[in-house]
Amino acid sequence: MSSTERAQGPTGGTDDGPGTAEFVQEWRNAAYNCYSSGHKFCREVCPVMQVTRNEVHTPTAFHANVVAMEQGLLSIEDVARDYVHCTQCGACELRCPNTLYTGDFYRFRTRTVQLVKAVRALAVDQGIHQPGWQRWVEETDRQRSEPVLGEVPVSQEHVADWAAGLNLPVGGETILFCDCEGAFHRTSVPRAAAMLLKAAGVEFGLMREQWCCGGPAAEMGYTDRAREFARHNVDDWRAVGARRIIVFDPHDYITFTEDYPAWFGDDYDFEIVLFVELLAELVRDGRIQLTRPVDRTVTYHDACRLNKRKGVHAAPREILRAVPGLTFKDVDHVTQWSYCSGAGGGLPIERPDLTAEISRRRVERAADLGVDTLVSACVWSERPLTEQGGKRDDPIQVLDLLEIVALSAGLAEEPA
Amino acid sequence: MTATLVTDPVIDELIGICGTDNVFADRSSRVNRARVPAPFPVHRWAEHVPDVVVLPTTAEQVSEVVKLANRHRIPVVPRAGGTGLTDGAVPLRHGIVVDVKLMNRILEIDLDDRTVTVQPGINMLKLNEELQKHGVIYPDDPASYPCSLVGGRIGTSGWSLIGGRYGHTRDLVISFQIALPTGELIWVGDGGGRKVRKSSTGYQLKHLFMGHQGTLGIVTEAVLELVPRPEAEFAAFFSYPDYETAWRSTGALAKSGLATLAGVVLFDEWKLDYLRRDDEAYIPQSDDVRCVVATAMYGTTDEVRPGARRLLRIGQETGGAYLGDEISQGDWASRHDRYATPLHGRLRDGQVVPMSWHCEDASINWSKLPQMRREWHDIVARLGDRFRIFDDWGMFAYTNGAFKPWGDYLTEIDVGIWEQELDDASWDAWVTAKRDIAAVAIAHGGSISACHGACRAGEVDLVPAELGGGWDVMKKVKRVLDPLNIMNPGKYLLDQAYEGDPA
Amino acid sequence: MIGFRLSAQLPPEPRRVNDTVVQRFDHVYEVDPALMREHVQQHDFPAWDTRRIVDSRWEHLAWMHAHWADSVVSGEELMSSGE
Ligand SMILES: Cc1cc2nc3c(=O)[nH]c(=O)nc-3n(C[C@H](O)[C@H](O)[C@H](O)COP(=O)(O)OP(=O)(O)OC[C@H]3O[C@@H](n4cnc5c(N)ncnc54)[C@H](O)[C@@H]3O)c2cc1C
Ligand code: SF4
Repeated sequence: MSSTERAQGPTGGTDDGPGTAEFVQEWRNAAYNCYSSGHKFCREVCPVMQVTRNEVHTPTAFHANVVAMEQGLLSIEDVARDYVHCTQCGACELRCPNTLYTGDFYRFRTRTVQLVKAVRALAVDQGIHQPGWQRWVEETDRQRSEPVLGEVPVSQEHVADWAAGLNLPVGGETILFCDCEGAFHRTSVPRAAAMLLKAAGVEFGLMREQWCCGGPAAEMGYTDRAREFARHNVDDWRAVGARRIIVFDPHDYITFTEDYPAWFGDDYDFEIVLFVELLAELVRDGRIQLTRPVDRTVTYHDACRLNKRKGVHAAPREILRAVPGLTFKDVDHVTQWSYCSGAGGGLPIERPDLTAEISRRRVERAADLGVDTLVSACVWSERPLTEQGGKRDDPIQVLDLLEIVALSAGLAEEPA
Repeated sequence: MTATLVTDPVIDELIGICGTDNVFADRSSRVNRARVPAPFPVHRWAEHVPDVVVLPTTAEQVSEVVKLANRHRIPVVPRAGGTGLTDGAVPLRHGIVVDVKLMNRILEIDLDDRTVTVQPGINMLKLNEELQKHGVIYPDDPASYPCSLVGGRIGTSGWSLIGGRYGHTRDLVISFQIALPTGELIWVGDGGGRKVRKSSTGYQLKHLFMGHQGTLGIVTEAVLELVPRPEAEFAAFFSYPDYETAWRSTGALAKSGLATLAGVVLFDEWKLDYLRRDDEAYIPQSDDVRCVVATAMYGTTDEVRPGARRLLRIGQETGGAYLGDEISQGDWASRHDRYATPLHGRLRDGQVVPMSWHCEDASINWSKLPQMRREWHDIVARLGDRFRIFDDWGMFAYTNGAFKPWGDYLTEIDVGIWEQELDDASWDAWVTAKRDIAAVAIAHGGSISACHGACRAGEVDLVPAELGGGWDVMKKVKRVLDPLNIMNPGKYLLDQAYEGDPA
Repeated sequence: MIGFRLSAQLPPEPRRVNDTVVQRFDHVYEVDPALMREHVQQHDFPAWDTRRIVDSRWEHLAWMHAHWADSVVSGEELMSSGE
């Protein structure tokens, strides 16, 4: 955490690498918009800051650095590592008054997540790599899926192993996109998704050849690679005549509704459907019957990319309230702006210690409510949360929302 | 000048005290601890970069760091939330920044004697999220409620939005531990008992060690007041056709004697014009809404409901029109954490530019408000005539007394400054304007600052004039407690305390 | 189905509220875009984002009320119930 190497002199000279000037030009006004506020309303909602308390990890610093670069006070080498400390949960930019109070009025809001991605990309462009991320992206490039650690070996050959025995077709108008962590690690989530769709009579198929969505590579600054993955996936969708893509992973949802439109422009004409929203509708309409009581006391972990970045918090709660037998101890979604699992934005790869501590705190908050189960709707959060939940003297189990619903719909059995 | 004092052996010593993980000498850590909101002119950032930053976790570490600084004669600047509006946490002589943010633990909640003991790096909103589980809160509520920290509240002796009901920081901090400028740790309060609110023993040192902007030491632990979590909140906003009526109504509301009354705020015509630029509550208001008075109450339901009826009646009888629940409740809820956002800034041709928010605050008696308000707006208007980068964002006057909110008002003029275009000439003009603004406050028998402190360029020049003989005492105290001028040197003109000293 | 479509994210054309304010969505004011041409350019702002911010704002304000007190007394109700 510490960095005690001495900088040269009190101010130091900076050597603008390639692309720095363009970057500064592009982000100049956005950076000033924060710099000239500097009030740090974003600080205490930031999951990383809650742990490190180190000001160089704040959105305030992330913006001020751009101004400092313009002033010749800092260079990308000085700050690249600081920008690792972000899960891209979006809490800060939503909580920022420049978004929350005036973002809609001016059609100009704080975009810290975009800024973090842009700085990471600038670093990569200048040959400054974070070793864990570099390896991760290279592996993804080789296997077409992220190198998640799971039971199933990661490779294109095994990308649909999770669906074994479900007899799912390939192609069609509606595609179920299965996230890498789900495909290779927590396979019970995509299985639940597929079974629920089948039970509700929704017609869908899988991709011919599914690659990583590209979102993580873009989050780590490897934009060109990310776009190659994206290109492949969009081509694959077009080739099978897909019009609608269903995603259960919030990270994919962000990539498909924010990155892909930015990369492909108006030609990008797919309908992207978020599984929990669809599920809430199917349950509401009675197309999925939740009949089997689930005897658990749960609280819901608002997935950051749904709650903070997309404003999706009602559907998961509606679904949980429809599960018979369940005792649901809710914590409102605004309080949860400052909650996170620490699993996003590549943090677990570069700073697993921070991810673990963020998750530990999240699980502790659940434990304070006296629940036995923490329900999440983000498959990536579930690994660190499960790990921390299991370490407790009074263990907390972590289940995906879809896993719970599959139980209640009689499509799955209680985990041992 | 002192940059060279922080040598590698000093850093090794700091690491020995605080641990490797909590000492930072890299450029990013230092550059990002040089500033607070809307600081010094941006092109002079480099002048304020500290040499090294430490994040201690215990009072003993803080004490050792200060002792080390005395041995090596290195300046020390305490830093809490970094939200202070008088540049208190900005290093003027480089040196060591002691950032207290890692000291954010709650040490004890005492529900019997109604106190909570905390470290100085905790934020009030976060603290209250814990406290409310026990049916109590710590009601220090600045507009920076979600971002300023307890240490900075003490360092500035801050002002709270609901101080009319619950008191301000100095009334809510019962006692605290402080590392003196020479490093010794002492406790100060009203007398000796850490949880005693009123004592007549000895000098009243608590006040001396508040609001000093880090020039008299570093607070390391504090015992804070607990009050029952309010059952009921009531907010009422009234509109008026002119300032005179609004001002008289403000006085009447503040003097109502209603114990649950937490605050009364008067927004003037400039403030209304400014709010109409982009605030959804004010855009639809008709043109005859020229001034607004906001009021808020907290307490038990049994007190608040009848009090609120009375308050509504006073507001209406003194010429106010109730603006309705939506704006009253919505706007009030936004006061705990809302302030000027940069895009409020307008050039005179109406174009939007990002401006930083500078607020000049003063304590002014009610009877003087109309006159000094005219003088302040004139100063800012003249500035705007000369430089397009200044924009008058209006004024408010806010009840200032603790528990008895009628006599004087926190009076603030908000000025937008387009810093991207700032240069030496416009900066100098701004500093002069700030001095003029402070002079008006003093001329009307007021005080330069009600909440932020007065150590920024411009107003600081008039601190000796405001304090008179007290200024000489202040210098003597500083010199006795900080013989080597280690603590936040250069602030508050306190170098004068050492004039005539052999170097 | 309830999904995201890029083509549905284009905000409606603004209509004028006063000299400096326009409206594209009900109850949502926006600056006259002409005032953000010279020095700060507006972002590409999809419709979902406007909705998210407006909703979040009101939710945040409701949260603040609940943070400070158990209940909020209504002035309108007090005045209509009379004395
Ligand atoms: C949006 C906004 C709204 C604001 N509204 C208000 C308001 O309503 N009322 C009000 O009073 N202020 C207000 N302020 C100003 C500011 O929030 C207060 O001055 C606050 O008390 C500063 O706290 P901080 O933790 O940010 O301290 P900092 O800015 O870090 O420090 C403030 C001063 O205290 C010193 N200090 C810091 N820590 C310690 C310590 N442990 N021991 C001794 N000295 C220390 C510093 O050296 C500095 O001189 C507002 C600021 C902003 C940005
Ligand atoms: S990101 Fe927003 S909340 Fe944080 S300091 Fe900048 S302007 Fe303030």
